[in-house]
Amino acid sequence: MPAASAIKVLVVDDQLTMRTLIRSTLQQLGFVDIADAPDGEEGFKALIQRPVNLVLSDFNMPKLDGLAFLRAVRSHEPLRKTAFIMLTGRADADLVQRAIQFGVNNYIAKPFTAQALKAKIEQVFGALT
Amino acid sequence: MDPMEPFKATFFQECEEQMAELEAGLLALESGEGDGETINAVFRAVHSVKGGAGAFGFDSLVKFAHVFETALDAMRSGALEVEPEAVKIMLRASDVLADHVLEAKGQGQVDCARAQAMAEELAGLTSGGGEPLEEPGDGSVEGEDSFGFTPLMVDLDEAPAARAPQADVEEPGGWRLSFAPTEAMYAKGNDALLLLRELERLGAHDISLESSALPEFDFLNPEASYCKWSARLPGDVPEADIRDVFDFVGDDCPLALIHENELIKGAAPPSLVADLGLAPALASALDDPFATTPAPPPAAPVDVAALLSAARAEAPQPAPKARPAVKDAPAGEELHAGKEAGKAAAVAATIRVDLDRVDRLIDLVGELVINQAMLAQRVSEANLARSSTVAIGLDELEQLTREIQDSVMAIRAQPVKSVFQRMPRLVREIASATRKEVRLVTEGENTEVDKTVIERLSDPITHMLRNAIDHGLESPEERVAAGKPAEGVVRLAALHRSGRIVIEVSDDGRGINRPRVRDIAVSKGLIAADASLTDEEVDNLIFLPGFSTAQTISDISGRGVGMDVVKRSIQALGGRISISSQPGKGSTFTMSLPLTLAVLDGMVVTAAEHTLVAPLTAIVETLRPKPNDVRRLGPRGAVLAVRGAHVPLIDVGVALGWRPNPVDPAAGVTLLVESEVGGRAALVVDAIQGQRQVVIKSLEANYQRVEAIAAATILGDGRVALILDVDAVIDSRFLEKLESQPLAQAS
Repeated sequence: MPAASAIKVLVVDDQLTMRTLIRSTLQQLGFVDIADAPDGEEGFKALIQRPVNLVLSDFNMPKLDGLAFLRAVRSHEPLRKTAFIMLTGRADADLVQRAIQFGVNNYIAKPFTAQALKAKIEQVFGALT
Repeated sequence: MDPMEPFKATFFQECEEQMAELEAGLLALESGEGDGETINAVFRAVHSVKGGAGAFGFDSLVKFAHVFETALDAMRSGALEVEPEAVKIMLRASDVLADHVLEAKGQGQVDCARAQAMAEELAGLTSGGGEPLEEPGDGSVEGEDSFGFTPLMVDLDEAPAARAPQADVEEPGGWRLSFAPTEAMYAKGNDALLLLRELERLGAHDISLESSALPEFDFLNPEASYCKWSARLPGDVPEADIRDVFDFVGDDCPLALIHENELIKGAAPPSLVADLGLAPALASALDDPFATTPAPPPAAPVDVAALLSAARAEAPQPAPKARPAVKDAPAGEELHAGKEAGKAAAVAATIRVDLDRVDRLIDLVGELVINQAMLAQRVSEANLARSSTVAIGLDELEQLTREIQDSVMAIRAQPVKSVFQRMPRLVREIASATRKEVRLVTEGENTEVDKTVIERLSDPITHMLRNAIDHGLESPEERVAAGKPAEGVVRLAALHRSGRIVIEVSDDGRGINRPRVRDIAVSKGLIAADASLTDEEVDNLIFLPGFSTAQTISDISGRGVGMDVVKRSIQALGGRISISSQPGKGSTFTMSLPLTLAVLDGMVVTAAEHTLVAPLTAIVETLRPKPNDVRRLGPRGAVLAVRGAHVPLIDVGVALGWRPNPVDPAAGVTLLVESEVGGRAALVVDAIQGQRQVVIKSLEANYQRVEAIAAATILGDGRVALILDVDAVIDSRFLEKLESQPLAQAS
């Protein structure tokens, strides 16, 4: 049973609104170490500099979208095992299928509640303390 | 307070940016300048608005954005063609979306019928793709189950962040390979990209390109081969599988392949180590896996770019026209593109600062300027030599103060883009209300001006545009009959000219109907029936109060506001407006405004023992009149002959009610001033003290509005001086009032 405070998170979304919202939701859930980035490219660079345990990434972003970002993470050995949860705006079957193919750990449709986010994270890490 | 409130503020701020991006993108598409990336950006803008709106529960905004997004998605995937009609519908949809955002903000209400109609129109674009304002699919529950996807569990202890990244990077035990395709390989139609794809399938990572052999472009032989790639593969991949990849290129592509275990054992032939480009230090480090080596930088920038480009190449390319070059471009170009993107991000680095803080800083710098001026005055009163260290130090301080002031002003300077961006929508609406075809051309959007000026530009520009389309442009039929294209062009331009910002609104319409303007002015008693006026003077009659050429007040230009109101609001900002017109060819409104409302270059003068500041921009020249140049007109009036022309003489002390009778103009100094339509006048003052830059302090905010006074300032000696509103002083009505006062007292 991992403690939420022990999980380092990177939030990647091109919207400042969403980043702040997700950050505050995570804080409510007891997460402490939260970084963020405005797109996949910046997110990837941030991960190279400082790996995390969990990436929460939007799909639709400029420069490098969520899928390509996921792929980059999965194909870089040191990051390969990072837990990756995709945030999707739409329930797009094709998108989710591709994300699954690329090894996404879980996904969640926006907008979501704190409880829904918690449940999604627990599905990946087990119950949080 | 609603805990969501601060987030909402961020959301609305972002919404504004997204809406601007949306409109700019659609306009680019309309004019045929857009490409796949533009469609993507437009889609993303709507998508982001929808995403944020969903988080806050702005349902109607979400619903509309959803329909809009669906249509844009169709355009993005190529199902819907990017053609002008569709883009026009989307432009109107962006207006409705903006209304929804305003409604969510609590500023106004969406016209439901219009929104519904718009939604249906959008849905119609995607060939009746479902009911328009239907609830967007709530995919969170339904979606998941339909994929039967089991979330992948992760053991936190194994997650990468738990370990040092460097340990991973240099963990031995895998394959290292490098290959250098020869010319022969390319000549046979083989492509290194295919090899890389195959390797990737086997799990290749850390693929990097060695392009240092590439010569300068001038020396590049297009048929030669210069590039070399290296990569790593997991150690458990059978060697045969790797060699199979290179089987069909054979000798045309020499391969260097080695297992890191062999390297450690020292079993690798040195030539192979060299081929792999392993630095000696690295190779020796591999000899002893437990040695603490100086860790190479966690990620060489090339690695990031290469990994990202690999990920990109495989990522879906949603836009049909999105840079097809990406997939087939040589890896070198990709790396380059990656770097460029990084550079662009660095250039756009900005911070958001609360405007209050900037204003506070500007106020403080204003005080600093005043303090510095006071200090300078004290020093000069102390009769110190110009060369004294104090005087020199003070000069330097003055220079610095100026520079600080300019820099602080530059913080507030903003491109006029934010105002210009709102205009295309306005033009569309006026065009459809007046049934005219209009194209808006904007120029100089990046011209910068103080934020306070920007805020007040919107209304006059709006009015001038309305006027240009409603009165200036002819109907399409009339235009065709006159041999012009049916579509009228309205140009909105901004530029800097001699320390002011100039905004021009011009149209290619019918121009001003001078005989009619003249008739109206005569019939309204604004000019005498036999007045002889130049064309320019006739044109400028439209700025006179009470003048309106519209036979019936139309909904567009009417609104009970005439050009005189526009003119007054511009004058209140220290601005000027004028019009020039060519019959049949169109009219141009030119409005000029000071770049800032915070400081002013002024001439400090005294009149009736009061200190006044006259804005330097209004002063044409200063002169000391000869007695015989002054001609009396009646008991109180006088004119001054200046190079053959006569201008009215106005005694400032009398005009402001400080003394009952004018002084002898020949005893004082006159400032020849000019206003936009009031013509020239000679203002009589007692003496000139000098020129200086003054910090404007609003009288209205600190005291109350005073006629003929624009604002106040604090001078170097601490005295308060009033800033003269030159246009108001020249204004005939103001003078008439003055003239009538003594008469009234007499009777």
